[in-house]
Amino acid sequence: MSEKGEVDLTGAKQNTGVWLVKVPKYLSQQWAKASGRGEVGKLRIGKNQGKAEVSFTLNEDLTMIDSLGDKPSGVRAPRDHPFTMQTVGGQTLAVFTETQSEPSKDKIALEGVVVQRAECRPAASDNYMKLKRLQIEELSKPLRLSQQLEKAVTTNYKPVANHYNNLEYERKKKEEGKRARADKQQVLDMLFSAFEKHQYYNIKDLVDITKQPVSYLKEILRDIGIYNIKGTHKNTWELKPEYRHYQGEEEAKEADD
Amino acid sequence: MTSLGGSSSSSTEYTVRVPKNNSKKYSIMAFNSGDKVNCSTWTQARMERDMSNRRMYGGEETEEGAAGSEFGKKQREEARRKKFGIVTREFKVEDQPWILKINGKAGKRFKGQKKGGVTENASYYIFTQCPDGAFEAFPVNGWYNFVPQAKHRTLTAEEAEEEWGRRNKVVNHFSIMLQRRLREQERGPDDEDEEGEKGGKKKKKKKGARGGDLRIHDLEDDLELSSDESDSSREEGDNKPKKKESVAKGKGKKKKKKRGSDSEANEDSDDGDYEGLEVDYMSDESSSEEEAGEEKAKSNKEDGPKGIDEASDTEDESEEEKQNEEEGKEEEEEEEGKKTPVQMEKKKKRDSSGESDTSEDSDIDGEAASALFMVKKRTPPKRGGGRGSGGSSRTGSRPGTPSIDSASTSNTLRAAASKLEQGKRQVLGGSSDSPAAKRLKMEPGSTATTTQSPAPSGKSTPQPPSGKSTPSSSDVQLTEEAVRRYLIRKPMTTKDLLKKFQTKRTGLSSEQTVNVLAQILKRLNPERKNVNDKMHFYLTE
Repeated sequence: MSEKGEVDLTGAKQNTGVWLVKVPKYLSQQWAKASGRGEVGKLRIGKNQGKAEVSFTLNEDLTMIDSLGDKPSGVRAPRDHPFTMQTVGGQTLAVFTETQSEPSKDKIALEGVVVQRAECRPAASDNYMKLKRLQIEELSKPLRLSQQLEKAVTTNYKPVANHYNNLEYERKKKEEGKRARADKQQVLDMLFSAFEKHQYYNIKDLVDITKQPVSYLKEILRDIGIYNIKGTHKNTWELKPEYRHYQGEEEAKEADD
Repeated sequence: MTSLGGSSSSSTEYTVRVPKNNSKKYSIMAFNSGDKVNCSTWTQARMERDMSNRRMYGGEETEEGAAGSEFGKKQREEARRKKFGIVTREFKVEDQPWILKINGKAGKRFKGQKKGGVTENASYYIFTQCPDGAFEAFPVNGWYNFVPQAKHRTLTAEEAEEEWGRRNKVVNHFSIMLQRRLREQERGPDDEDEEGEKGGKKKKKKKGARGGDLRIHDLEDDLELSSDESDSSREEGDNKPKKKESVAKGKGKKKKKKRGSDSEANEDSDDGDYEGLEVDYMSDESSSEEEAGEEKAKSNKEDGPKGIDEASDTEDESEEEKQNEEEGKEEEEEEEGKKTPVQMEKKKKRDSSGESDTSEDSDIDGEAASALFMVKKRTPPKRGGGRGSGGSSRTGSRPGTPSIDSASTSNTLRAAASKLEQGKRQVLGGSSDSPAAKRLKMEPGSTATTTQSPAPSGKSTPQPPSGKSTPSSSDVQLTEEAVRRYLIRKPMTTKDLLKKFQTKRTGLSSEQTVNVLAQILKRLNPERKNVNDKMHFYLTE
């Protein structure tokens, strides 16, 4: 754990300068499709009469845009993207990385400091316009659509007695029948083990656990437990103090029947 | 890398690569330039996620298993939450803020909050130049804004509010933290060692100040004293805050009532309006509001036009009553019958004169008054003809309970007042009801038209001489000068004037007061103005 949190400061020490570039979504999608070593294009940095000009050219093979939906898009991504350079004015931006080489062992490293900010803009071209239009069309489709059906839906039409419910009901009844009164000792054992797990129980839950008829169960409970209105909505049963044996409690006495 | 020659431009071309397999996740760490952060100067840094929010989402587990737990409690809680539509957001570790510590414990600390919406519409890439000249672009996963964390001690919200309240008095601001540190010192001596920027200074100051504590803290002492005073006074005046409350309440209610009555005749508005109003000694309830309501209801039955006096009387008294809520006046229940009219009056009185008077209520000797009231178990003292609005100092100032026969006085007063008015103009619609009557919405029928305009006339304005506590001595003499003063200041009705010169204060009986006042008015011959259907007198000089 001592390593965790330790930041590798090599990048900062070397004062590695990096560029922060804002790239349009479609371009990053295209870049994600790059193959091989990940070459996506060429960056041209020039000095035109004293001003730096940076432009990015997308590789030819990455210009095919897949569009959602049926038709293959005839749209191609624009290739030329001039960069707009900006300064890193009011902020000091540093870049850090998290590496998860092994599970739960995060290595945090400071890679460097941003020295230049840029925005990648597509050069306005027909291609781009078409691309944008496609995007807009896709976005303007509503998420929900009302459709008119020709035929009424009959697949989930329920019969009078729901089959599923019916079956379940019958099964339950068969299985349980009327809850039979088991031996009192057995019931007590069941209750004590239940109360070992939790202190307060609802009567319904106890019935579930013990599978006893309610009145019988209540009789037994009256012997060994108390019904308290705890101040919360449900009124719950708990063991009598002398029967309790919880950790935080002073009274410790096992019940004997 | 190919270089292309151009005419006037030279450019170099680099390949851009976007590496595919990346185990590294890139994020931006943004500092404010004002913080002057230079990463290269860092010798050592530690950064971890700030998990302090985890319990919010995880929820507090009271007890698990065995003692104290209920069967199926979690499920039930879950179901309950769903039923109410409470959606708890998940605790995502990646969204938690970072804590960055520079140069160990003694260095700076930063907290980095994740900035949302960075990757929604556009992606950020980090372009790094590789040794081979090509650029590599890595997508940015998250943006964190890092802000420095204060290490010096700061005030908590409550303390800050306190200090804000005292900002005009405190001159020595250094001692604020000093005091706080002293307080903390009582709990643990370690705190002293950790100090922020001002640490050294403060330490010295502390030590020096200790010696010179007396010197520097003169103001502080005063401040503390003042606060103590206020504290003690708060304690002493059990009644006061409550009185003030009740007064305030009463005021508010009165205002409401006033408005209501002004706009329409007897609007039976909120019953709650009357709740806070103190009924009067007679009704046994000292502080129970409901009873007050009831009583008033009872009093409603009484015929309204009991006259100004009675009205004023009740008001005055009721005002006092309110103030003395705490003291538990003993009401004479037997005399409820009689009292109810008086109550009415008192209430009226209270209402009308209450605002100004009671607000300025300061040191009324509540206890004495209550004692007085308890002793004098008899007809609730009625103010002499609702004189003056010296309500505030009522309990204290009134020497003993005024015993004025409301009925008689009212008649006389009313007669006098009406005579005055008749002498000059037409008689205004009959029975001058107490101003309060107007307000008392409970008495729609009973109280006839209220002739007095409430609050606007003298009541709202606290009358310093009469209003301010100071007990016993009758500061107000019924002189022409006094009346002139009042009338110059603002237009007043006869009732108002009468209230100004309460019998207790002036030592005259109500009859005398009326007569004298009438004479004075004749002498002064003030201008008349009809405001809210009430005749107001005023002087312009």
